[in-house]
Amino acid sequence: MSPQNYTFMFFGFAVAWLIVIGYVISIALREKKLRQELDRVKRMVEESESKSR
Amino acid sequence: MKFLRRTLAVAAKDLRSEIRSKEAVNASVSFALVILLLFSFAFDLEPEEIREIAGGLLWLIFAFAGTLILNRSFARELVNDCLDALLASPISGAELFLGKCLANYVLIIIVECISLPFFAIFYDVRLPHLGLLFVVMLLGTWGITVIGTMFSAMTVNLRLRELMLPTLVYPMLIPALLGAIQLSRVLITNGRLADNFIWFRILVAFDVIFTILALALVEIVLVG
Amino acid sequence: MRQKIILTLAGLAGLILAWNLHTIFLEVPDEANQGAIFRIIYFHVPAAITSFTGFYVGMFSAVGYLIKKDLRLDSIAASINEVSLAFASITLVTGSIWGRIIWGIWWTWDPRLTSYFVCLLIYFGYFMLRRAIDDPTTRARLSAVLSIFACVDIVLVWKSIEWFRTQHPGPVLEIRGGGGMAPGMEAPLWWNFLAFLMLATALILIRTRQESMRLEIDALRRHAHAF
Repeated sequence: MSPQNYTFMFFGFAVAWLIVIGYVISIALREKKLRQELDRVKRMVEESESKSR
Repeated sequence: MKFLRRTLAVAAKDLRSEIRSKEAVNASVSFALVILLLFSFAFDLEPEEIREIAGGLLWLIFAFAGTLILNRSFARELVNDCLDALLASPISGAELFLGKCLANYVLIIIVECISLPFFAIFYDVRLPHLGLLFVVMLLGTWGITVIGTMFSAMTVNLRLRELMLPTLVYPMLIPALLGAIQLSRVLITNGRLADNFIWFRILVAFDVIFTILALALVEIVLVG
Repeated sequence: MRQKIILTLAGLAGLILAWNLHTIFLEVPDEANQGAIFRIIYFHVPAAITSFTGFYVGMFSAVGYLIKKDLRLDSIAASINEVSLAFASITLVTGSIWGRIIWGIWWTWDPRLTSYFVCLLIYFGYFMLRRAIDDPTTRARLSAVLSIFACVDIVLVWKSIEWFRTQHPGPVLEIRGGGGMAPGMEAPLWWNFLAFLMLATALILIRTRQESMRLEIDALRRHAHAF
Protein backbone atom coordinates (compact mmCIF):
# COMPACT_ATOMS: atom_id res chain seq x y z
CA MET A 1 0.00 0.00 0.00
CA SER A 2 1.49 3.29 -1.04
CA PRO A 3 2.39 5.70 1.74
CA GLN A 4 0.45 8.44 -0.04
CA ASN A 5 -2.73 6.44 0.35
CA TYR A 6 -2.11 6.10 4.06
CA THR A 7 -1.66 9.86 4.37
CA PHE A 8 -4.93 10.58 2.65
CA MET A 9 -6.78 8.01 4.66
CA PHE A 10 -5.39 9.47 7.85
CA PHE A 11 -6.53 12.93 6.76
CA GLY A 12 -9.94 11.54 5.85
CA PHE A 13 -10.51 10.03 9.25
CA ALA A 14 -8.98 13.06 10.95
CA VAL A 15 -11.35 15.44 9.20
CA ALA A 16 -14.37 13.31 10.03
CA TRP A 17 -13.40 13.24 13.69
CA LEU A 18 -12.62 16.94 13.70
CA ILE A 19 -16.09 17.74 12.42
CA VAL A 20 -17.69 15.59 15.10
CA ILE A 21 -15.50 17.05 17.85
CA GLY A 22 -16.04 20.57 16.57
CA TYR A 23 -19.79 20.06 16.59
CA VAL A 24 -19.76 18.64 20.11
CA ILE A 25 -17.66 21.58 21.30
CA SER A 26 -20.06 24.05 19.69
CA ILE A 27 -22.94 22.34 21.48
CA ALA A 28 -21.09 22.54 24.80
CA LEU A 29 -20.35 26.24 24.31
CA ARG A 30 -23.98 26.90 23.46
CA GLU A 31 -24.99 25.07 26.62
CA LYS A 32 -22.76 27.28 28.74
CA LYS A 33 -24.09 30.44 27.08
CA LEU A 34 -27.70 29.34 27.53
CA ARG A 35 -27.19 28.55 31.22
CA GLN A 36 -25.67 31.97 31.83
CA GLU A 37 -28.55 33.62 29.99
CA LEU A 38 -31.09 31.57 31.93
CA ASP A 39 -29.57 32.59 35.27
CA ARG A 40 -29.46 36.23 34.22
CA VAL A 41 -33.07 36.29 33.14
CA LYS A 42 -34.20 34.45 36.28
CA ARG A 43 -32.45 37.11 38.35
CA MET A 44 -34.16 39.81 36.29
CA VAL A 45 -37.57 38.26 36.98
CA GLU A 46 -36.87 38.01 40.69
CA GLU A 47 -35.70 41.64 40.81
CA SER A 48 -38.74 42.98 39.03
CA GLU A 49 -41.05 40.84 41.16
CA SER A 50 -39.48 42.07 44.40
CA LYS A 51 -39.66 45.66 43.10
CA SER A 52 -43.33 45.47 42.33
CA ARG A 53 -44.16 44.16 45.82
CA MET B 1 -67.50 27.12 -9.17
CA LYS B 2 -66.79 29.55 -6.38
CA PHE B 3 -63.21 28.34 -6.02
CA LEU B 4 -62.42 29.10 -9.64
CA ARG B 5 -64.16 32.47 -9.59
CA ARG B 6 -62.31 33.62 -6.48
CA THR B 7 -58.98 32.35 -7.77
CA LEU B 8 -59.43 34.15 -11.05
CA ALA B 9 -60.47 37.29 -9.19
CA VAL B 10 -57.19 37.29 -7.27
CA ALA B 11 -55.22 36.55 -10.45
CA ALA B 12 -57.00 39.34 -12.31
CA LYS B 13 -56.28 41.80 -9.50
CA ASP B 14 -52.57 41.06 -9.54
CA LEU B 15 -52.34 41.11 -13.31
CA ARG B 16 -54.28 44.35 -13.56
CA SER B 17 -52.08 46.13 -11.05
CA GLU B 18 -48.95 44.85 -12.78
CA ILE B 19 -50.11 45.78 -16.27
CA ARG B 20 -50.88 49.31 -15.11
CA SER B 21 -47.43 49.87 -13.62
CA LYS B 22 -45.35 47.39 -15.60
CA GLU B 23 -42.62 47.65 -12.97
CA ALA B 24 -41.91 43.97 -12.40
CA VAL B 25 -42.01 42.94 -16.05
CA ASN B 26 -39.72 45.79 -17.07
CA ALA B 27 -37.24 45.05 -14.33
CA SER B 28 -37.34 41.35 -15.10
CA VAL B 29 -36.82 41.75 -18.84
CA SER B 30 -33.95 44.19 -18.27
CA PHE B 31 -32.38 41.77 -15.86
CA ALA B 32 -32.72 38.92 -18.37
CA LEU B 33 -31.04 41.01 -21.08
CA VAL B 34 -28.21 41.96 -18.72
CA ILE B 35 -27.60 38.32 -17.86
CA LEU B 36 -27.58 37.46 -21.56
CA LEU B 37 -24.91 40.09 -22.01
CA LEU B 38 -22.85 38.91 -19.05
CA PHE B 39 -22.98 35.30 -20.19
CA SER B 40 -21.75 36.33 -23.62
CA PHE B 41 -18.66 37.83 -21.93
CA ALA B 42 -18.22 34.79 -19.72
CA PHE B 43 -18.27 32.24 -22.50
CA ASP B 44 -16.44 32.40 -25.78
CA LEU B 45 -17.56 29.31 -27.62
CA GLU B 46 -18.03 27.86 -31.08
CA PRO B 47 -21.62 27.79 -32.35
CA GLU B 48 -21.95 24.02 -31.90
CA GLU B 49 -20.78 24.30 -28.31
CA ILE B 50 -23.20 27.12 -27.64
CA ARG B 51 -26.02 24.98 -28.91
CA GLU B 52 -25.04 22.32 -26.38
CA ILE B 53 -25.25 24.67 -23.42
CA ALA B 54 -28.08 26.79 -24.79
CA GLY B 55 -30.69 24.85 -22.82
CA GLY B 56 -28.87 25.48 -19.57
CA LEU B 57 -28.27 29.18 -20.26
CA LEU B 58 -31.88 29.71 -21.21
CA TRP B 59 -33.27 28.24 -18.03
CA LEU B 60 -30.76 29.99 -15.80
CA ILE B 61 -31.91 33.27 -17.32
CA PHE B 62 -35.58 32.32 -16.86
CA ALA B 63 -35.02 31.27 -13.25
CA PHE B 64 -33.09 34.43 -12.27
CA ALA B 65 -35.46 36.80 -14.02
CA GLY B 66 -38.48 34.95 -12.64
CA THR B 67 -37.28 35.41 -9.07
CA LEU B 68 -37.64 39.16 -9.40
CA ILE B 69 -41.34 38.75 -10.15
CA LEU B 70 -41.88 36.09 -7.50
CA ASN B 71 -40.30 38.18 -4.77
CA ARG B 72 -42.88 40.91 -5.24
CA SER B 73 -45.75 38.49 -5.28
CA PHE B 74 -46.68 38.56 -1.61
CA ALA B 75 -44.41 41.45 -0.69
CA ARG B 76 -46.57 43.93 -2.57
CA GLU B 77 -49.47 43.12 -0.22
CA LEU B 78 -47.59 44.26 2.87
CA VAL B 79 -48.21 47.94 2.15
CA ASN B 80 -51.35 49.30 3.81
CA ASP B 81 -51.96 45.92 5.49
CA CYS B 82 -53.42 44.51 2.31
CA LEU B 83 -52.23 41.02 3.22
CA ASP B 84 -54.17 41.07 6.48
CA ALA B 85 -57.23 42.26 4.59
CA LEU B 86 -56.91 39.45 2.08
CA LEU B 87 -56.48 36.86 4.81
CA ALA B 88 -59.51 38.19 6.67
CA SER B 89 -61.65 38.04 3.54
CA PRO B 90 -63.72 34.95 2.62
CA ILE B 91 -61.00 33.91 0.18
CA SER B 92 -59.29 30.74 1.39
CA GLY B 93 -55.52 30.49 1.50
CA ALA B 94 -55.51 28.04 -1.38
CA GLU B 95 -57.54 30.37 -3.59
CA LEU B 96 -55.27 33.30 -2.76
CA PHE B 97 -52.19 31.21 -3.46
CA LEU B 98 -53.47 29.76 -6.73
CA GLY B 99 -54.61 33.17 -7.95
CA LYS B 100 -51.19 34.65 -7.29
CA CYS B 101 -49.56 31.63 -8.90
CA LEU B 102 -51.59 32.15 -12.06
CA ALA B 103 -50.76 35.85 -12.18
CA ASN B 104 -47.04 35.21 -11.62
CA TYR B 105 -47.15 32.46 -14.22
CA VAL B 106 -48.56 34.74 -16.88
CA LEU B 107 -46.02 37.45 -16.06
CA ILE B 108 -43.03 35.11 -16.14
CA ILE B 109 -44.20 33.57 -19.44
CA ILE B 110 -44.41 37.07 -20.88
CA VAL B 111 -40.85 37.81 -19.74
CA GLU B 112 -39.66 34.52 -21.21
CA CYS B 113 -41.37 35.12 -24.54
CA ILE B 114 -39.68 38.51 -24.76
CA SER B 115 -36.26 37.14 -23.78
CA LEU B 116 -36.31 34.09 -26.04
CA PRO B 117 -35.90 35.91 -29.38
CA PHE B 118 -33.10 38.03 -27.91
CA PHE B 119 -31.41 34.86 -26.76
CA ALA B 120 -31.73 33.30 -30.21
CA ILE B 121 -30.33 36.42 -31.85
CA PHE B 122 -27.45 37.14 -29.44
CA TYR B 123 -26.16 33.59 -29.42
CA ASP B 124 -27.08 32.73 -32.99
CA VAL B 125 -29.08 29.71 -31.89
CA ARG B 126 -31.67 28.37 -34.22
CA LEU B 127 -34.85 27.14 -32.53
CA PRO B 128 -36.34 24.45 -34.76
CA HIS B 129 -38.98 22.80 -32.58
CA LEU B 130 -40.49 26.04 -31.32
CA GLY B 131 -43.89 24.54 -30.44
CA LEU B 132 -42.42 21.78 -28.29
CA LEU B 133 -39.99 24.26 -26.76
CA PHE B 134 -42.95 26.38 -25.77
CA VAL B 135 -44.59 23.36 -24.11
CA VAL B 136 -41.40 22.78 -22.12
CA MET B 137 -41.40 26.45 -21.15
CA LEU B 138 -44.98 26.18 -19.94
CA LEU B 139 -44.24 23.12 -17.82
CA GLY B 140 -40.95 24.34 -16.41
CA THR B 141 -42.25 27.80 -15.61
CA TRP B 142 -45.17 26.34 -13.65
CA GLY B 143 -42.67 24.49 -11.44
CA ILE B 144 -40.71 27.69 -10.83
CA THR B 145 -43.91 29.62 -10.16
CA VAL B 146 -45.41 27.16 -7.66
CA ILE B 147 -42.26 26.86 -5.55
CA GLY B 148 -41.46 30.55 -5.84
CA THR B 149 -44.92 31.74 -4.87
CA MET B 150 -45.04 29.30 -1.97
CA PHE B 151 -41.74 30.51 -0.59
CA SER B 152 -42.73 34.10 -1.23
CA ALA B 153 -45.67 33.47 1.09
CA MET B 154 -43.35 31.87 3.63
CA THR B 155 -40.81 34.66 3.68
CA VAL B 156 -43.17 37.60 3.34
CA ASN B 157 -42.84 38.76 6.93
CA LEU B 158 -39.09 38.32 7.28
CA ARG B 159 -36.56 41.11 7.33
CA LEU B 160 -34.19 39.41 4.89
CA ARG B 161 -36.92 38.50 2.42
CA GLU B 162 -34.96 39.29 -0.76
CA LEU B 163 -32.00 37.22 0.44
CA MET B 164 -33.98 34.28 1.73
CA LEU B 165 -36.17 33.69 -1.30
CA PRO B 166 -33.42 32.81 -3.80
CA THR B 167 -31.50 30.83 -1.17
CA LEU B 168 -34.51 28.66 -0.40
CA VAL B 169 -36.00 28.41 -3.87
CA TYR B 170 -33.08 27.48 -6.14
CA PRO B 171 -32.06 24.20 -4.49
CA MET B 172 -35.70 23.14 -4.43
CA LEU B 173 -36.08 23.84 -8.13
CA ILE B 174 -33.27 21.58 -9.25
CA PRO B 175 -35.38 18.65 -10.51
CA ALA B 176 -37.61 20.96 -12.52
CA LEU B 177 -34.70 22.98 -13.88
CA LEU B 178 -32.80 19.82 -14.78
CA GLY B 179 -35.78 18.43 -16.65
CA ALA B 180 -36.42 21.68 -18.47
CA ILE B 181 -32.74 22.15 -19.30
CA GLN B 182 -32.37 18.65 -20.68
CA LEU B 183 -35.52 18.87 -22.75
CA SER B 184 -34.56 22.29 -24.10
CA ARG B 185 -31.08 21.06 -24.93
CA VAL B 186 -32.52 18.11 -26.84
CA LEU B 187 -34.99 20.31 -28.68
CA ILE B 188 -32.31 22.81 -29.67
CA THR B 189 -29.65 20.32 -30.74
CA ASN B 190 -31.10 17.19 -32.27
CA GLY B 191 -34.78 16.86 -31.46
CA ARG B 192 -34.62 13.22 -30.32
CA LEU B 193 -37.32 13.72 -27.76
CA ALA B 194 -38.29 10.04 -27.57
CA ASP B 195 -34.94 9.06 -25.99
CA ASN B 196 -35.28 11.72 -23.33
CA PHE B 197 -38.87 11.20 -22.33
CA ILE B 198 -37.82 10.55 -18.73
CA TRP B 199 -37.17 14.29 -18.27
CA PHE B 200 -40.66 15.04 -19.39
CA ARG B 201 -41.99 12.70 -16.74
CA ILE B 202 -39.80 14.29 -14.05
CA LEU B 203 -41.02 17.76 -15.00
CA VAL B 204 -44.68 16.79 -14.94
CA ALA B 205 -44.23 14.84 -11.69
CA PHE B 206 -42.54 17.86 -10.11
CA ASP B 207 -45.35 20.18 -11.18
CA VAL B 208 -48.13 17.88 -9.99
CA ILE B 209 -46.54 16.90 -6.67
CA PHE B 210 -45.60 20.40 -5.61
CA THR B 211 -48.84 22.00 -6.73
CA ILE B 212 -50.78 19.58 -4.55
CA LEU B 213 -48.34 19.95 -1.66
CA ALA B 214 -48.42 23.74 -1.87
CA LEU B 215 -52.21 23.94 -2.03
CA ALA B 216 -52.42 21.66 1.00
CA LEU B 217 -49.90 23.55 3.13
CA VAL B 218 -50.37 27.19 2.11
CA GLU B 219 -53.17 27.78 4.61
CA ILE B 220 -50.82 26.77 7.42
CA VAL B 221 -48.14 29.12 6.15
CA LEU B 222 -50.38 32.13 5.69
CA VAL B 223 -52.68 31.83 8.65
CA GLY B 224 -51.38 29.18 11.03
CA MET C 1 -32.34 10.22 34.48
CA ARG C 2 -32.03 11.96 31.16
CA GLN C 3 -28.42 12.82 31.84
CA LYS C 4 -27.75 9.13 32.47
CA ILE C 5 -29.35 8.12 29.17
CA ILE C 6 -27.23 10.61 27.31
CA LEU C 7 -24.04 9.47 28.97
CA THR C 8 -24.82 5.79 28.42
CA LEU C 9 -25.58 6.32 24.76
CA ALA C 10 -22.48 8.39 24.18
CA GLY C 11 -20.34 5.97 26.13
CA LEU C 12 -21.61 2.94 24.25
CA ALA C 13 -21.18 4.72 20.95
CA GLY C 14 -17.62 5.59 21.85
CA LEU C 15 -16.85 2.01 22.80
CA ILE C 16 -18.31 0.60 19.60
CA LEU C 17 -16.43 3.14 17.51
CA ALA C 18 -13.16 2.38 19.26
CA TRP C 19 -13.62 -1.37 18.85
CA ASN C 20 -14.56 -0.87 15.23
CA LEU C 21 -11.47 1.19 14.55
CA HIS C 22 -9.48 -1.77 15.77
CA THR C 23 -11.39 -4.13 13.50
CA ILE C 24 -11.26 -1.82 10.53
CA PHE C 25 -7.55 -1.28 10.66
CA LEU C 26 -6.19 -4.59 11.74
CA GLU C 27 -8.56 -7.35 10.75
CA VAL C 28 -10.16 -6.33 7.48
CA PRO C 29 -7.88 -6.95 4.50
CA ASP C 30 -7.26 -4.34 1.82
CA GLU C 31 -9.88 -4.26 -0.87
CA ALA C 32 -8.69 -5.52 -4.24
CA ASN C 33 -9.09 -2.39 -6.34
CA GLN C 34 -9.10 0.50 -3.99
CA GLY C 35 -6.54 -0.35 -1.36
CA ALA C 36 -6.61 1.06 2.11
CA ILE C 37 -8.64 4.18 1.39
CA PHE C 38 -11.57 1.81 1.05
CA ARG C 39 -11.80 1.81 4.83
CA ILE C 40 -13.24 5.28 4.76
CA ILE C 41 -16.48 3.69 3.60
CA TYR C 42 -16.93 2.60 7.21
CA PHE C 43 -17.49 6.24 8.09
CA HIS C 44 -18.88 7.58 4.86
CA VAL C 45 -21.84 5.22 4.46
CA PRO C 46 -23.04 5.12 8.08
CA ALA C 47 -22.84 8.91 8.25
CA ALA C 48 -24.88 9.14 5.06
CA ILE C 49 -27.57 6.74 6.25
CA THR C 50 -27.70 8.40 9.68
CA SER C 51 -28.17 11.86 8.24
CA PHE C 52 -30.81 10.75 5.77
CA THR C 53 -32.74 8.91 8.45
CA GLY C 54 -32.43 12.02 10.58
CA PHE C 55 -33.87 14.34 7.96
CA TYR C 56 -36.91 12.13 7.48
CA VAL C 57 -37.49 11.58 11.18
CA GLY C 58 -37.14 15.34 11.54
CA MET C 59 -39.88 15.77 8.97
CA PHE C 60 -42.18 13.44 10.91
CA SER C 61 -41.49 15.39 14.05
CA ALA C 62 -42.33 18.59 12.19
CA VAL C 63 -45.60 17.10 10.93
CA GLY C 64 -46.27 16.06 14.53
CA TYR C 65 -45.87 19.69 15.56
CA LEU C 66 -48.32 20.84 12.87
CA ILE C 67 -50.88 18.36 14.17
CA LYS C 68 -50.35 18.68 17.93
CA LYS C 69 -49.05 22.27 18.12
CA ASP C 70 -46.62 21.18 20.85
CA LEU C 71 -43.49 23.31 20.66
CA ARG C 72 -41.41 20.48 22.07
CA LEU C 73 -41.94 18.59 18.83
CA ASP C 74 -40.55 21.58 16.99
CA SER C 75 -37.49 21.59 19.26
CA ILE C 76 -36.99 17.91 18.53
CA ALA C 77 -37.34 18.49 14.79
CA ALA C 78 -34.82 21.33 14.80
CA SER C 79 -32.31 19.32 16.85
CA ILE C 80 -32.64 16.27 14.63
CA ASN C 81 -32.15 18.37 11.52
CA GLU C 82 -29.11 20.08 12.99
CA VAL C 83 -27.41 16.83 14.01
CA SER C 84 -28.26 15.34 10.62
CA LEU C 85 -26.69 18.35 8.95
CA ALA C 86 -23.47 17.70 10.89
CA PHE C 87 -23.45 14.06 9.77
CA ALA C 88 -24.22 15.13 6.21
CA SER C 89 -21.14 17.34 6.27
CA ILE C 90 -19.10 14.38 7.42
CA THR C 91 -20.53 12.33 4.55
CA LEU C 92 -19.62 14.95 2.00
CA VAL C 93 -16.11 15.51 3.30
CA THR C 94 -15.27 11.81 3.56
CA GLY C 95 -16.83 11.23 0.15
CA SER C 96 -14.73 14.01 -1.29
CA ILE C 97 -11.53 12.56 0.14
CA TRP C 98 -12.44 9.11 -1.13
CA GLY C 99 -13.04 10.59 -4.54
CA ARG C 100 -9.68 12.35 -4.47
CA ILE C 101 -7.96 8.99 -4.08
CA ILE C 102 -10.06 6.95 -6.45
CA TRP C 103 -10.82 9.42 -9.21
CA GLY C 104 -8.07 11.95 -8.61
CA ILE C 105 -10.48 14.83 -8.16
CA TRP C 106 -11.70 16.54 -4.99
CA TRP C 107 -15.20 16.96 -6.30
CA THR C 108 -17.31 15.56 -9.08
CA TRP C 109 -20.88 16.26 -10.01
CA ASP C 110 -22.03 12.69 -9.69
CA PRO C 111 -25.61 11.87 -8.57
CA ARG C 112 -25.02 11.15 -4.92
CA LEU C 113 -22.57 13.90 -4.09
CA THR C 114 -24.60 16.46 -6.02
CA SER C 115 -27.97 15.57 -4.53
CA TYR C 116 -26.32 15.42 -1.14
CA PHE C 117 -24.90 18.87 -1.64
CA VAL C 118 -28.36 20.11 -2.65
CA CYS C 119 -29.73 18.52 0.54
CA LEU C 120 -27.08 20.41 2.51
CA LEU C 121 -28.04 23.68 0.81
CA ILE C 122 -31.73 23.17 1.48
CA TYR C 123 -31.10 22.57 5.18
CA PHE C 124 -28.74 25.53 5.45
CA GLY C 125 -31.72 27.48 4.17
CA TYR C 126 -33.85 25.80 6.83
CA PHE C 127 -31.59 27.08 9.58
CA MET C 128 -31.35 30.52 8.03
CA LEU C 129 -35.13 30.64 8.06
CA ARG C 130 -35.26 29.61 11.70
CA ARG C 131 -32.76 32.26 12.64
CA ALA C 132 -34.70 34.96 10.82
CA ILE C 133 -37.92 34.39 12.78
CA ASP C 134 -38.21 35.49 16.41
CA ASP C 135 -41.69 34.28 17.30
CA PRO C 136 -41.49 30.59 18.32
CA THR C 137 -44.89 29.58 16.93
CA THR C 138 -44.30 31.15 13.53
CA ARG C 139 -40.80 29.71 13.45
CA ALA C 140 -42.09 26.23 14.23
CA ARG C 141 -44.89 26.49 11.68
CA LEU C 142 -42.79 27.76 8.77
CA SER C 143 -39.82 25.47 9.35
CA ALA C 144 -42.21 22.50 9.57
CA VAL C 145 -43.64 23.32 6.15
CA LEU C 146 -40.12 23.86 4.80
CA SER C 147 -38.92 20.47 6.04
CA ILE C 148 -41.91 18.76 4.40
CA PHE C 149 -41.07 20.44 1.11
CA ALA C 150 -37.40 19.61 1.57
CA CYS C 151 -37.93 15.90 2.16
CA VAL C 152 -40.27 15.52 -0.81
CA ASP C 153 -37.89 17.50 -2.97
CA ILE C 154 -34.81 15.49 -1.99
CA VAL C 155 -36.36 12.34 -3.39
CA LEU C 156 -36.99 14.11 -6.69
CA VAL C 157 -33.54 15.70 -6.71
CA TRP C 158 -31.89 12.33 -6.14
CA LYS C 159 -33.81 10.59 -8.90
CA SER C 160 -33.34 13.38 -11.39
CA ILE C 161 -29.60 13.78 -10.83
CA GLU C 162 -29.17 10.01 -11.00
CA TRP C 163 -30.44 10.08 -14.54
CA PHE C 164 -28.25 13.05 -15.26
CA ARG C 165 -24.86 11.75 -14.24
CA THR C 166 -23.31 8.36 -13.75
CA GLN C 167 -19.90 8.32 -12.25
CA HIS C 168 -20.35 7.18 -8.66
CA PRO C 169 -19.53 3.49 -8.12
CA GLY C 170 -22.67 1.40 -8.17
CA PRO C 171 -24.21 0.35 -4.88
CA VAL C 172 -21.56 -1.60 -3.00
CA LEU C 173 -24.09 -2.85 -0.50
CA GLU C 174 -27.01 -4.71 -1.95
CA ILE C 175 -29.43 -4.88 0.90
CA ARG C 176 -31.66 -7.33 -0.92
CA GLY C 177 -29.43 -9.59 -2.94
CA GLY C 178 -25.77 -10.52 -2.77
CA GLY C 179 -23.42 -7.64 -3.06
CA GLY C 180 -20.10 -6.12 -3.82
CA MET C 181 -18.76 -6.69 -0.36
CA ALA C 182 -17.43 -9.92 1.10
CA PRO C 183 -19.47 -10.94 4.16
CA GLY C 184 -16.56 -10.62 6.55
CA MET C 185 -16.09 -6.98 5.61
CA GLU C 186 -19.68 -5.90 6.03
CA ALA C 187 -20.05 -6.29 9.77
CA PRO C 188 -17.99 -3.27 10.92
CA LEU C 189 -20.14 -1.10 8.71
CA TRP C 190 -23.35 -1.99 10.48
CA TRP C 191 -21.66 -1.68 13.87
CA ASN C 192 -20.49 1.79 12.92
CA PHE C 193 -23.98 2.63 11.80
CA LEU C 194 -25.33 1.59 15.19
CA ALA C 195 -22.66 3.66 16.91
CA PHE C 196 -23.48 6.69 14.77
CA LEU C 197 -27.18 6.32 15.51
CA MET C 198 -26.48 6.24 19.23
CA LEU C 199 -24.14 9.19 18.99
CA ALA C 200 -26.73 11.08 16.96
CA THR C 201 -29.45 10.29 19.49
CA ALA C 202 -27.29 11.50 22.36
CA LEU C 203 -26.51 14.74 20.52
CA ILE C 204 -30.18 15.20 19.61
CA LEU C 205 -31.22 14.79 23.24
CA ILE C 206 -28.70 17.42 24.31
CA ARG C 207 -29.77 19.83 21.58
CA THR C 208 -33.46 19.35 22.34
CA ARG C 209 -32.86 20.26 25.95
CA GLN C 210 -31.00 23.36 24.78
CA GLU C 211 -33.91 24.34 22.56
CA SER C 212 -36.31 23.95 25.49
CA MET C 213 -33.98 26.12 27.57
CA ARG C 214 -34.04 28.71 24.81
CA LEU C 215 -37.86 28.73 24.86
CA GLU C 216 -37.85 29.02 28.65
CA ILE C 217 -35.44 31.97 28.48
CA ASP C 218 -37.62 33.76 25.96
CA ALA C 219 -40.72 33.20 28.06
CA LEU C 220 -38.97 34.41 31.23
CA ARG C 221 -37.63 37.47 29.47
CA ARG C 222 -41.11 38.40 28.32
CA HIS C 223 -42.31 37.83 31.86
CA ALA C 224 -39.56 40.07 33.23
CA HIS C 225 -40.25 42.89 30.81
CA ALA C 226 -43.96 42.71 31.52
CA PHE C 227 -43.43 44.26 34.94
